[in-house]
Amino acid sequence: MIRFLLRRLAFALLLVIAVSSAALLLTRLAPGDLTSELGPRARPEDVARARERFDLNRNPLAQLGGWAARAARLDFGDSFLYDRPVSPLIRRAAGNTAVLAATALAIATFLGIPLGVVTGSRSSALAACIRGASLVCLSIPPLLASLLLVFLASRTGWLPSGGMTSVAAIDAGWPAWLLDVARHLPLPALALALPLAATFERLQAQAMTETIHQPFVVAALARGVTWRRLLIDHAWRPSLRSMCAIYGLAIGALLSGSFVVEYVTAWPGLGRLMYEALRARDIYLVAGCAAMGGIFLAFGSLVSDLLLFAADPRVREGSGK
Amino acid sequence: MKVRILGIAITAAILVVGLTFWRSTTNPDAGKSANFAAAQHRGGQIVTSGRAAPRTFNRLLGQDQLSFVLGVVTQGHLVRVNYETFEVEPWLAEKWDTSPDGLTYTFHLRQGLTWSDGVPFTADDVVFTLQAIFDPKTGSYISDVLTVGGKPITADAPDPSTVVVHFPAPSGPGVRLLETLWVLPKHKLEAALKAGTLAQAWSTDTPPSEMAFMGPFVIKEYVPNQRIILDRNPHYWRKAADGTPLPYVDRIVYEIIPDQDAELLRLQAGEIDLTQSELRPDDYVPAKRAEDQGKLKVTEIGLSPMADAFWFNLKPEAWKSDARFAFVQKKEFRQAISYAVDREKFAENVYLGAAVPIWGPVTPGNTQWFWPDLPRYTHDVNKAKDILKSIGLEDRNGNGIVEDAQGHEARFTVVTQRGVGWYERGLAELRSQLAPIGIALEPATIENATLNQRLVKSDYEAMYMRFGTTDLDPASELDMWLTTGDAHFWHMGDTRPEAWETQIDALMKQNIATADQGRRKEQFKQVQRIFSDNLPVLYFVAPRMYYAYNVRVEGVKPSVLRPVALWNADMLSVR
Repeated sequence: MIRFLLRRLAFALLLVIAVSSAALLLTRLAPGDLTSELGPRARPEDVARARERFDLNRNPLAQLGGWAARAARLDFGDSFLYDRPVSPLIRRAAGNTAVLAATALAIATFLGIPLGVVTGSRSSALAACIRGASLVCLSIPPLLASLLLVFLASRTGWLPSGGMTSVAAIDAGWPAWLLDVARHLPLPALALALPLAATFERLQAQAMTETIHQPFVVAALARGVTWRRLLIDHAWRPSLRSMCAIYGLAIGALLSGSFVVEYVTAWPGLGRLMYEALRARDIYLVAGCAAMGGIFLAFGSLVSDLLLFAADPRVREGSGK
Repeated sequence: MKVRILGIAITAAILVVGLTFWRSTTNPDAGKSANFAAAQHRGGQIVTSGRAAPRTFNRLLGQDQLSFVLGVVTQGHLVRVNYETFEVEPWLAEKWDTSPDGLTYTFHLRQGLTWSDGVPFTADDVVFTLQAIFDPKTGSYISDVLTVGGKPITADAPDPSTVVVHFPAPSGPGVRLLETLWVLPKHKLEAALKAGTLAQAWSTDTPPSEMAFMGPFVIKEYVPNQRIILDRNPHYWRKAADGTPLPYVDRIVYEIIPDQDAELLRLQAGEIDLTQSELRPDDYVPAKRAEDQGKLKVTEIGLSPMADAFWFNLKPEAWKSDARFAFVQKKEFRQAISYAVDREKFAENVYLGAAVPIWGPVTPGNTQWFWPDLPRYTHDVNKAKDILKSIGLEDRNGNGIVEDAQGHEARFTVVTQRGVGWYERGLAELRSQLAPIGIALEPATIENATLNQRLVKSDYEAMYMRFGTTDLDPASELDMWLTTGDAHFWHMGDTRPEAWETQIDALMKQNIATADQGRRKEQFKQVQRIFSDNLPVLYFVAPRMYYAYNVRVEGVKPSVLRPVALWNADMLSVR
């Protein structure tokens, strides 16, 4: 187990280094640089100063080397857009994204998996409706889903239509602040969770259908096990194997890829920060965000492995050898 | 059982610690008290919004839009330009005397002014600010504005309430230039200037207690990517006509909402009161609907002083050996385009009818400098074709596109910014209107960073976009007018100006050195006439500007210049 964890840790480290280095290099090599943010009327001396400060006068590999050396000392450079060190910006945004992603994941899990068990184990009008709803959720792009939800929120007034906290909570105490965040969470969380729940539903349904036709399930049925117990105790757990494989990836993707939803709903998370950094070619902020995205992805992958480890005895036996 | 209880306890502890950490990182200044006196709770708050975060709180360095907005609501200057009348009016200076030669202005400061931290405001602060602006280590862009005749404006303080400002040469805008002199607190920044670190001072993570302001509001807190909270400056000097101390509201909250569609929805939902920009053409109908429901007030501000521009790259080096430059550089070619465009139809299709035709860069929205008698290119397709023929451009092979005698077609790629609806519509309209005269345009939409880089490097054939402005006086646009200017965008780095460009250079140099406003207007008419004859840039329509804001806000006087509504932040109140 320890060897397994150490291997995963080494993989995570490599992933973070590869992703952040690639992000830095690609940002550097893309057309335009951060001085474009100064506008077409910027003074040449201001442009020169910004280029000097952000190492844009060095060749890309030398810049990457310098950044990597500083990053090893946990100095990830400064953000041009925010004129402050990158690290606290990323920490804050990553925390916000983690809260959003955890909520979205919980919604997707508690919605998608039970519905998948239902649709995968029977053919009924209800199952057909759920399948139809899943397909709709899967086919709506996150941008449209976010805009639709923001539109609904602004029209009905049931939920705040954006942001993480409202102005009323500025001077509020801790409990009121948390309640306020809780009121702002459903909208972006639903925009993220609905397509994910639909994915979970479809995968779970497929896995369930395959599992209930396995000989051991048929044998249990022949032994007189009730349908309900058969589904939960005999069929569901083995069917989770494919879910476990995708679950970790979903975590990574949620944490690192909520660009559009965070942008539209003004959720101050990592996705939005990364989007703004990319748009402005804020090179060290891009690299920092990419590194954090890599950490999230590695974390998701680890969770996936651990879930698989717990759900499938063959994996446990294999790792023990 | 014990194990399970222990597990629950550990989970709960992790949750509490995690939430506490998250709360502290999300709200870094929570618990810190700003060094300001208690606000008078009498006026409620206004929630406004913008799409970008500030890059700095240092007014000498921040050139982005939000830095400017923050400057307007938190800082003070000797004089200000009233964005309703566009006249210069006294501000921190109660009055001023001008020397007979127009080179010396003696400003008499208002009595009893103090910074937001209670320290007296004196003439030394003004002298200090000018020193800071011109310190090479500061690198302030304002030094360009306050340089007259190649030399810096200087100041001295004969006594604490008098500032004498010396102009090294006559200046057309004169005292108007001093609107950009945002006065900084010497007691807070003198050490940084001496240490050569003023450029790093007042960054966005500077604690509010380390800053002091003269504007109606002070920065209380900045949560990156979320909001800026501005509280009433308890020492603000201005009073309403009835003696009520200003500002009316206790607080302005600036929400950062990156997506403009979401911003409009939140405005309609009543979650924000004011935005920093006018309505986009497509937003007018939903905003009007919200007005009918009693949620918003929609008002026409007037015609925009800025218009979308279309131009060819006139830098010869950019075309290398491309034979098309031979006709692109001819003014007749550009005149033919101007004749070919039906501006009324353009206004209808691009701005849904909310625009008026124009023939030059100065629109009727610039009431002080617009020249209504500027020669016009009345829509005439046949005339356009004749002009093209006169310079050797004809459709010789019958493919609908004109070419020169060697077969080089008048086909161009025009770049514009992606995601701006009216740019894309404007370019599509232009393409369809130029097709009948045989000029083919191929639109290419690219993101802003790439667009700016290609503009600066002159790496394009033609471009379609709009440039912003912060003042209506042509002196504020010198970087565009002069061939040596950094924003002479149709020919960047123009080292061999044409005769007409040299004429404009000379006239604009005279213009900024002429104090007589009547003479300045005559000179500028000549500039507009030469520009209109040579058409380095083509303008087609000036859009009407509409502004929407929450009905609960009173005192809003939207301006054609930005910040549209916050320029008189101290006079805004809420019901």
